[in-house]
Amino acid sequence: MKTIKYILVIAFALMVIIPLIAVIFTTFKSTAEVFSSILGLPESFRVDNYISIFVDQPMARYFMNSVIVTLFSVVFTLLFASLIAYAVTRMFGWIGVVFFSLFTFGMMVPAQVNMIPLYQLVFDLGLTNSLLGLILVNISVTMPVAIFILSGFMKSIPKSLFEAARIDGGSEWQMYRKIAIPLSMPSLAATAIFLFVMHWNDLLYPLLFITKNEYKTLPLALLEFQGEFATNYPMLFTGVIIASAPMVIAYLFLQRYFVAGITAGSVKG
Amino acid sequence: MIRKLACVSTFALGALLAGCVGGTGGNSSSENGEEGTISFIHWRGEDKAVFDELISKFEEENPSINVDMTIYPSEQYQSTAQTTLRDGSTGDVFTSFPGSQLEIINKAGLFEDLSDEAFIDQYEPQLIESGQADGKQLAVPLQLVFNQPVYNKGIFEELGLEPATNWEDFLALCETLKEAGYTPIAFPGSDIGPGQFMNPMMMNNAPNEDVFDQLMAGEASLTDDWWVETLAQFKELNDKGYLNKDALGTNHSAAISQVASEEAAMLATGSHAMASIKEMNPEIELGLLAPITTTEEEAKWEGIHTTTFMLAVNANSEKKEAAKKFVAFLSETENAEQYANETSQHVTVKDVEYDSEELTSTSEWIDRNTRFQPRFLIPNADVEKAVISSIQSVLGGKSPEEAAKEAQQIVEQNL
Amino acid sequence: MNFRKNKSLFLFLLPGLILYTIFFIVPTVNALIYSFTDWDGISPEFNVVGIENYVQLVTNDSIFLKAFVNNIKFMLFVLIFQTLFSLIFAMFLIKNTKTNIFLRALYFFPTILSSVSVAFIWTFIYDPNMGMLNSVLSTLNLDFLQQNWLGNENIAIYSIAVTQVWFHTGQMLIIFVAGLQAIPKDLYEVADMEGAGRWSRFRFVTWPMIAPSATIVMAYTTIQSFKAFDLIFAMTRGGPNYSTEILATLIYSTAFRSFEFGYASAQSVLFMIVIAVITVIQFRLLRASRVQE
Repeated sequence: MKTIKYILVIAFALMVIIPLIAVIFTTFKSTAEVFSSILGLPESFRVDNYISIFVDQPMARYFMNSVIVTLFSVVFTLLFASLIAYAVTRMFGWIGVVFFSLFTFGMMVPAQVNMIPLYQLVFDLGLTNSLLGLILVNISVTMPVAIFILSGFMKSIPKSLFEAARIDGGSEWQMYRKIAIPLSMPSLAATAIFLFVMHWNDLLYPLLFITKNEYKTLPLALLEFQGEFATNYPMLFTGVIIASAPMVIAYLFLQRYFVAGITAGSVKG
Repeated sequence: MIRKLACVSTFALGALLAGCVGGTGGNSSSENGEEGTISFIHWRGEDKAVFDELISKFEEENPSINVDMTIYPSEQYQSTAQTTLRDGSTGDVFTSFPGSQLEIINKAGLFEDLSDEAFIDQYEPQLIESGQADGKQLAVPLQLVFNQPVYNKGIFEELGLEPATNWEDFLALCETLKEAGYTPIAFPGSDIGPGQFMNPMMMNNAPNEDVFDQLMAGEASLTDDWWVETLAQFKELNDKGYLNKDALGTNHSAAISQVASEEAAMLATGSHAMASIKEMNPEIELGLLAPITTTEEEAKWEGIHTTTFMLAVNANSEKKEAAKKFVAFLSETENAEQYANETSQHVTVKDVEYDSEELTSTSEWIDRNTRFQPRFLIPNADVEKAVISSIQSVLGGKSPEEAAKEAQQIVEQNL
Repeated sequence: MNFRKNKSLFLFLLPGLILYTIFFIVPTVNALIYSFTDWDGISPEFNVVGIENYVQLVTNDSIFLKAFVNNIKFMLFVLIFQTLFSLIFAMFLIKNTKTNIFLRALYFFPTILSSVSVAFIWTFIYDPNMGMLNSVLSTLNLDFLQQNWLGNENIAIYSIAVTQVWFHTGQMLIIFVAGLQAIPKDLYEVADMEGAGRWSRFRFVTWPMIAPSATIVMAYTTIQSFKAFDLIFAMTRGGPNYSTEILATLIYSTAFRSFEFGYASAQSVLFMIVIAVITVIQFRLLRASRVQE
């Protein structure tokens, strides 16, 4: 059993590491080198791509835009979604189910279909070419997933805890803050990671709403390396590697809350 | 711990709200001072560097105008860019593909009529027809592309081969290449291959340029000889081992590298791939040829060309004059020349001198009897896809008749 | 009715609901209205055509049916393997040791990469001539297993499904880890005292306790695989010969390549109904599996 476990764990780790190495190697190669041998060692570890990506364009600016959009989107999605998740799991009767369905319905709509009407709306509100517009749309479209995940976990919080708090005269707000949120830390952290990835890599909405260089986000900037017939993969991957660094940091930061989850979980018993 | 968290989250909320409001303020204040900024949108990521240069030159000549360039991959260009054109805020200068995209943008009334602009005279008149509709010049194509196989001149010389003038000779040529150990044709069947190679393959089987209009009118069918024969010839190439192994799983990049490494002798896409091959193998000497699928006497056409990357001015733009200035600037011989030479593309502008070897060696094709890319004349994208899929289908093993029949069924659903 | 009891809870809904209504409900309803028109997505005018789009879709659209079948194949493959792998790995890596934390982060890494780069890497892995997969098989003397992974109509959709599983297993693992860590340890202690074996521990303690996470993972995976637009588009564009066309790629090309926005909206409505039905069935089945004992 142990052996099978190790084999599986290592096999999957290799499946991740090998392509990952290919990506990293690619950033040091020329296009010709990439196609002659994708896995081969680069001729030299020259950092030209890393330098030119910062020199040739305002990467710092794109980076900042991405950070702003992602942070605000994640925090507010989490806040609003956790409030809603709490409310729908606590509501009596069918109303909670109705609201839960209304929100989760949002996950099922393909983005391609409401993008034209959405563009019209955002434009009419004067929110194109603005980070605020992007954030508001981001929050709205990712809230359903967050509500879905969070309410799934909140449902499993024992009702007795809330009943006890109610008898002590706690308001819903207090119960949300002092029971639901602390006990949901692991799922909040998991959701936060989901949201980070979604917002950080999101291309569709920036493509739609942002055309001015000063508001571009990273994924949008990376598009310039994709040509009609020829894509500059070394530059593209350099961008991808640079762009993934903050995600690794966000992941490592949020990872701590899984550990916190154990303590919270043990409170229950 | 709970209290601490609550404290922190309340604080963060406050800070973020304040930040958010601040953010809005920042956005609105920067709206000033961009009186002369025009937005230029296109899909050529390959051309970013040369456009950056041209734009700075333009801005120097016209200090009151700034050009904000946004590049989309061509797929996203079709979806998002089109959506954003409508309100006039984006794409004061934009680009369009010929064919169905031109038609739809025209129908929406987004093209400013350029017929009377002086810069139109900069172009070869017969090469800008793809930008015309309803008797107006709606857009000016800048690029001239030949969508026919690129071949390795060195290999051909070594084996004493000449581009063939009929189907028998073409097959014999492939056989010689195969026997000499080369892959005769690198065909990227998983992405652009079928859509590119179908053009020279069908040009003489269906010499009539209206064939796809007739198809949509129900007067022609994919089950007719012209298409079944084309599919049969695709199959013949594949069955005889003249296409690379597992062609359907090969993408354009992989096919390019097969040609660059001189494993394969021909690349069945188009002149646009020459620069990429050269970049990987600067020593290689390249030419263009087209398979003639009939006898020499029956062959009406020698090759395929496309005039594309059509520059246009947005009819809803508030800065039309500045936008036209920019199009006029790109149409100047000197600038078009710079564009052509730095991107290794032929252009439609008159009197341009090409300095790179692959451009000069292939510019004879400008005067040859080439036909406008038939695929772009398919008015419906579902039909286009059905046509392309039938090629993949015969390469996957179906009989030409059956593949044609299935495709025709989809055509009929779209009539 | 319990409106009174719910009153303060409505305030909780408010901020999210307002945004959701403006930026989601309104445009979506608009899109639905277009499904009764022949709008091309760009022109100022269009005609109302009633249910014509739906009639055409149900009676005379072989590609839609094909895309639907492909989508079900893709979804089932991804659902089974992604859920299984993420659950197994979550159980393997549940303890917060340094190695496990590192491995969880490593497994998560593919999720961070953009779909363009994942598609690019995997097209190289699958390339029939110079691809990694076929060369590895040949080194292992398993040449008979070599395939034209993305070029063979019969297997291309599964090849992409494998990529999808690789792409998102680490993400789903996180949900399971969160679920597993919320299980009180004393439940296992009780089970041990009663002499439960490995399987009964899983069946009677772990499974009921992680059923909420399993529901989330499965529903999310289902929806995600219905929407796996980016990956498929970048790897095969629906080809060869429609063998990897799924509903999302079809809707995209209807709307933006064929300029039939009205028709694409009708396709989307059917798409949503399909997802909704599948999700509800899943909920039912999972609930049953939990209650059974």
